[in-house]
Amino acid sequence: MAFQPTKQIYSGKIREVTLGVGDKAVTVGGKTAYSFHSFEGEMPNPPRVAMEIWDKDPSADWSETAKAPFAGVLSDPVAWAKKCVDEYGAEILVVQTKSADPNADNKSAAEVAAVVKKVADAVDVPIIVWGVASHEKDTEVMKAVAEQCSGKRLALSPVEEGDYKQIGAACLGYKHVVVSSSPIDVNLAKQLNILLGNLGVKEQDIVIDPTTGGLGYGLEYTYSVIERIQQAALTQEDDKLQQPMICNVGNEVWKSKEANLSAEDAPELGDPAKRGVLMEAITAIDLLIAGADVVILRHPEAIKLVKGFIAKMM
Amino acid sequence: MVKCIGENLNIMSKKYGKALKERDPKPLQELAVQQTEAGMDWVDLNIGPAGKMGEELMTWLVPVVHEVTDLPLALDTSNIKAIEAGLKAHKKGRPLINSIMVRPERMDALLPLAKEYDADFIALLWGPEGMPRDENERGALCSEIVFKATGEYGIAPERIYVDPIQTPVNVQQNQIMSALEFMKMFQDIAPGCRSTIGLSNVSNGPPEHLRPILNQVMLILLKRYGMYSAIVDCFDTKLHDIAKGKRPELEALVHKVEDGEAIDMSSLSKEEVDFVKTAKVILGHALYSDSWLEI
Repeated sequence: MAFQPTKQIYSGKIREVTLGVGDKAVTVGGKTAYSFHSFEGEMPNPPRVAMEIWDKDPSADWSETAKAPFAGVLSDPVAWAKKCVDEYGAEILVVQTKSADPNADNKSAAEVAAVVKKVADAVDVPIIVWGVASHEKDTEVMKAVAEQCSGKRLALSPVEEGDYKQIGAACLGYKHVVVSSSPIDVNLAKQLNILLGNLGVKEQDIVIDPTTGGLGYGLEYTYSVIERIQQAALTQEDDKLQQPMICNVGNEVWKSKEANLSAEDAPELGDPAKRGVLMEAITAIDLLIAGADVVILRHPEAIKLVKGFIAKMM
Repeated sequence: MVKCIGENLNIMSKKYGKALKERDPKPLQELAVQQTEAGMDWVDLNIGPAGKMGEELMTWLVPVVHEVTDLPLALDTSNIKAIEAGLKAHKKGRPLINSIMVRPERMDALLPLAKEYDADFIALLWGPEGMPRDENERGALCSEIVFKATGEYGIAPERIYVDPIQTPVNVQQNQIMSALEFMKMFQDIAPGCRSTIGLSNVSNGPPEHLRPILNQVMLILLKRYGMYSAIVDCFDTKLHDIAKGKRPELEALVHKVEDGEAIDMSSLSKEEVDFVKTAKVILGHALYSDSWLEI
């Protein structure tokens, strides 16, 4: 008898969610099988790499390796954004609103929103705004951002159980996408999507953030929960989890000690010019295999590696 | 018919914990009377690890409770000296040691006491490496403790209440399935032994007001596979009715869900719909979320 490979039976489909507007709008999701399982089902939209910028000069926090590709623009979010799009081919841009951090610069919501607006006006790719995970501050900032950028169909993140009513309402009012964020827990991911549904947020406006752990810092937990969410969505017809997923990879990887140690401090860890890049690329590729639809990255070299991987897999 | 061990006399409770610390018999005796009237078969005395005070506390508590009830008592502590003190003080019926883990040092210390005082004991399937990972590891741990208790100590099988460990539905649903799978094999593995389980742990985490239905459906599932007794909330009268077999229609409905039979939801009452939905999340047919009854 001829060899019969086992085939996974699928009963569900991930919904499509469109980020941004106009020619450069990006649609993610839509798959009917596990990621890259083209022998079992469809993956109509390839996974995407989003590129992050900060709304404050990160020079004090970033290693030379991370800073080098952005020399001259790190203190100017608009110039930085343009460089990402024009030079590095970013298809989606993420603005990390670090300047809003109540434990650091604590800039006002109006100031933060004004910078986001300038960035959003300067480029035509979809924008994701990533907050500081402080419910109070994110609520203020995201409300202002939602209003200022009305009509641009941003994605606002993270929207958590503690602030979903406020930020969810802002997304509803100004027609933005909600990034539904839960702490590496499939049951809580489902619950938050139910609550968002009760609030009136439509399914085509929800992307799941399962919470990202970088290589060496919980990557395997994120991997498992992404798998579990996908299994529920695709094989158990769990209606509430059939949403695309996004992972904030670069921010997690580059804040680890190992990504930034110099050659003098850690000669056993290899070339620092490659180390962080590889940690970032490996984390992203793992999460894409697990099922992520969007990975947010920092370093252009890591992005090249990850895009190369996606191209080969599709 | 599932026998009930009332769990509410617990050091973690604000009211009864305070009474235990202050050696105030009144609230504890009131609770013991309530448990008796609610039809419990044992009153569990959970004094926690209790440190140096354990021995004295159990010596005080057992007669205090027995002043107002004839029910046998479950001596619920990890403190070996407190267990022995409780056994000494226990004069009405047969005491129940809660519990003996399947770890050499626990078995060596506690099995001789179970034998000496002719007590019942809960054999908690918690091994040297912690919680068993599946039904097979449960089976191995069960065999080990039953073999040791009956073989080495000559304890009769009916003195042994095997506890396959209840896990919460919202974090370890798969472990619920292996506890159920274990129950299906249990009488073959340990003929003549009895069983029990800390039922309320299934709803540890979900919203407080939704805990009863999870406990009730879980009990139906366990009852089907011959669960002999369960440690339960003494105030949940519907649960007691289920334990006593007074809600056969709900049992039949939950069994249908477990057997994968098609169910016409539109013909069901609200209570029945809720039981079906709850059975589905416990059995993993649907993924648990706190709003499971609303979707």
